[in-house]
Amino acid sequence: MTSFDYIRQVLIDKYEIEADVITSEATFENLGLDSLTMVELMFDVSEKYGIEIPTDRLDFKTLGEVVVLIDDMLNAQNI
Amino acid sequence: MTNLGQCRVFVTGIGLVSPHGCDDANQIFDKLYCGKSAIDLVCTETLGIKRSSLVAPANFDPVGKIPKTQLLLMDRVSQMALLAANQALENAQLLSNNTKLASTGIYLGCGLGGSQTIENVYHTLFVKKSCAVRPASVPLIMPNASAGHISMYHKLGGPSQTYSVACASSSIAIGEAFRAIRDGYLGRVIAGGTEAMLNFGSMASWDALTVLAKEHPEGAYASCRPFSKDRNGLVLGEGAAMLILESEALVTARNIQPLAEIIGYGASSDSHNLTQPAAEGQVRAMRLALVDAKLDPTAIGYINAHATGTQAGDKIEIEAIKLVFAEHAKRIAISSTKSMHGHLLGAAGALEFAITVMALQKGKIPPTAHLSQPDPDCALDCIPHVGRLSPTLKYALSNSFAFGGSNAVLIAQRV
Repeated sequence: MTSFDYIRQVLIDKYEIEADVITSEATFENLGLDSLTMVELMFDVSEKYGIEIPTDRLDFKTLGEVVVLIDDMLNAQNI
Repeated sequence: MTNLGQCRVFVTGIGLVSPHGCDDANQIFDKLYCGKSAIDLVCTETLGIKRSSLVAPANFDPVGKIPKTQLLLMDRVSQMALLAANQALENAQLLSNNTKLASTGIYLGCGLGGSQTIENVYHTLFVKKSCAVRPASVPLIMPNASAGHISMYHKLGGPSQTYSVACASSSIAIGEAFRAIRDGYLGRVIAGGTEAMLNFGSMASWDALTVLAKEHPEGAYASCRPFSKDRNGLVLGEGAAMLILESEALVTARNIQPLAEIIGYGASSDSHNLTQPAAEGQVRAMRLALVDAKLDPTAIGYINAHATGTQAGDKIEIEAIKLVFAEHAKRIAISSTKSMHGHLLGAAGALEFAITVMALQKGKIPPTAHLSQPDPDCALDCIPHVGRLSPTLKYALSNSFAFGGSNAVLIAQRV
């Protein structure tokens, strides 16, 4: 499961967001997620992948940007 | 008019999530009237530590009743509060006809807030030895979260107030809401209380205070015995109780039959001791409520006592009642329904006032269960075991006395 697939599944299961609006280009605002929900989602991601996302890197707008961030951090871990 | 130039205030709906159920307040009242206890012995094991606790838990399922996305951000205490508020609004016929609630207020009492979330945070820090605390912990813990959830869900635009005054929290919330309507500041308020602290840390803290009841040989259900000589402590319960308070103008405009009228509220401080009650402060609160209601003490026919089942507390409350009502004290029906639903702490006053309202409405006085050995120091008419019909009951009073020395008394009238 890619990080995008994981986030997509969390958004569907936990936040009841329709699958067809969950795209890489979708913004949190488009998805109706407020800032608290966003940090909760990042908490789930951190727990899932065992990474700690620095608070100064939480300035993303789209899901695609989140996925890039997670993958970068995972790659850095593996180096 | 209760007072010249002031609005009359009515109770038009009740919603309960209680140890006796969470669907129909009338059915819950019927169980109490029969003397049925919801107290049980619950065995748990946390971190290898086994505990057996006498408690009165509330069983409810919020799934399907609260939107999943809102539920994610709610501690148990807020879930119960919202469910009780929904029921109260439905009972007051305020959900069925698109009534606008934009100016409705919410006045809530809560002692500890999101107690389970507090425990979860400490579990993460001290047991898992991790700093990865859930980001939503603060909004789940804050005591006014419940009021916030109710106002968000129902789009309430009026004031959202939360009172944290230990065991008097929700009586004070109702009293202050009553005043806000009576003085013309608001037309309608959802008023009540919520509490959910039957978890490991809270129970251990209460246990350490050495005020909790021991299991009675007859069974766990009989362990809370207010006014009985063999009482040995209180039993903690959990739940939420909400009442809809409305001005006479709104009641008339909606053409509905109210459940009762609130006519008096009194509040005082013992300024004596953090945990030991004092008759003097309780007397002052009852007298203030009677003056507020413009009622002669001899008019009171029923008192829903605060009596938790401790040796000192029950005796002092009876002493206070005797001081306020003098000879008439012997003619008042008094009961402690905590003998059946336990002590709901921040929600206790609201649940007991809701029971008092239903007692007036139905002309039926609930009993003090398990009062098998009347204490000579509590020798008033404390309605042992089963309820009593009282079709002429017109005025009733509900006492709430809190740690910290805060006292609150509410008086209601049959309509």
